[in-house]
Amino acid sequence: MHAETLQDIAMMHSDALLQRAAQGDQNAQGKLVQLWYKRIYNFGFKFFLDHDLAMEVAQKTFISMCRNLPSLQDLGKFKAWLYKIAMNYCREEIRRRQTNRSTPFDRVWNVESEQSPRWEMSRNRHDDPDRQFQRNEVADILHAALMAINEDQRAVVIMKEYEGLKFREIAEVLNISENTVKSRMYYGLESLKRILEKQNINKDTINYEL
Amino acid sequence: MSYKPDEGTLIAYLYGELEGSAKERVERYLADSEEARRELEALKEVRGIMGLVRDKEVIAPPLVIDSRARFFNLSSPLVRAVLAIAASLVILMVAGKLTGVQISASENEIRLTFGQPRSSAPDATPSLGVADVHDIIDARLADNNAALQSEWRKSQEAFANTMRETLKESSSRIDQLVMKAASASEKQISAYVSTLQAENLRMIKDHYKMTSEEQKQQLEQLLVDFAKYLQQQREDDLMILQARLNDLQQNTDMYRQETEQILASLISNASVPVIRN
Repeated sequence: MHAETLQDIAMMHSDALLQRAAQGDQNAQGKLVQLWYKRIYNFGFKFFLDHDLAMEVAQKTFISMCRNLPSLQDLGKFKAWLYKIAMNYCREEIRRRQTNRSTPFDRVWNVESEQSPRWEMSRNRHDDPDRQFQRNEVADILHAALMAINEDQRAVVIMKEYEGLKFREIAEVLNISENTVKSRMYYGLESLKRILEKQNINKDTINYEL
Repeated sequence: MSYKPDEGTLIAYLYGELEGSAKERVERYLADSEEARRELEALKEVRGIMGLVRDKEVIAPPLVIDSRARFFNLSSPLVRAVLAIAASLVILMVAGKLTGVQISASENEIRLTFGQPRSSAPDATPSLGVADVHDIIDARLADNNAALQSEWRKSQEAFANTMRETLKESSSRIDQLVMKAASASEKQISAYVSTLQAENLRMIKDHYKMTSEEQKQQLEQLLVDFAKYLQQQREDDLMILQARLNDLQQNTDMYRQETEQILASLISNASVPVIRN
């Protein structure tokens, strides 16, 4: 992961914090949560494309983290361990969603329409409509592309591309071999490429400045 | 070129997780193969585009985690049951203290008392014998009987007297009433009958008058009708007679003409001499 923000730097130098947290220092645990919350939330959000589910997964993940951190043997594997917890909660959500027959309102509604609850919730609605439309459109298309590939590949792509885990760590998270991770990544990228090509999106049609 | 890296190796190279000889081999392969370079470029482009998805900003909600293990969990059902039993026992004990409940068990009895138990002292008076009791009861019964009988007799007499008096009174009153009623009714009936007779008489007179008038009128009408009828009949007869007379006239006229014609023909025939045989 590239150190882009103060938070990223703090994340990379959190060994001492981790140690204290593992010894049961609640203050350190709270700081750890603050450090990692955004990452885990975004992982969940990209996985489900749903704010509520992402919040739920993130909260469960951190509750579990604080409970089980003292029992973590190798603090060097903290990152993989944390994502493993998050991944397990994601899978649980998927299972629950499969058994649950109800459909949330914002899925029934057309998400784009102004009657949609999601539109009401979004902060963007006060922005310049043109710019907002463009940005939303690109982000929506990319998100949709991500949602279109299968779950195994999606998990790998998100962890690699957005969360910057090493292939070895991803293999640990998913409990599969490193080669399988790499091939899932490859096929995931291929599928994304096909989807983007179908939508006629390439670096020329997309404004990188967005 | 015999070496061709598999997808995994290519991906590892793309993400810079390849080192040493493996990396060199891939680089050499890419330098040779235009197609492989293009493929890698395409993947890089996909990465670039997908990299446009920005993280969503989110504020971590405060997580307060009580990591202390709870030895005494109030919400566990067993603890709650035990607490409930203890509380009810305490309530019972307090209530018992306040009401002064005493429970004592002696020989053959269990005593539940509120307040100080009263010691029941046995009566010191000598008890009566059965014969005494019988005597007392008999004497009381005899007294009672005598008193009752005298009372009863007295009341009977009084009752008979009052009955007699009331009977006398009521009979005399009834006689008076009947007498009054009889005299009153005789007068009334005669008056009523006389009025009835007068009314009947008047009604019958009226009726006769009315009916006789009606009969007279009807008779007159009848006579008039009959006269009219007779007149009509006569007129009809006259008309018939007239018609008959006319017919007769016509007939006689016809006969006359016929006879005249016959006469004329006879005359004409007679004027011409006829010689026969």
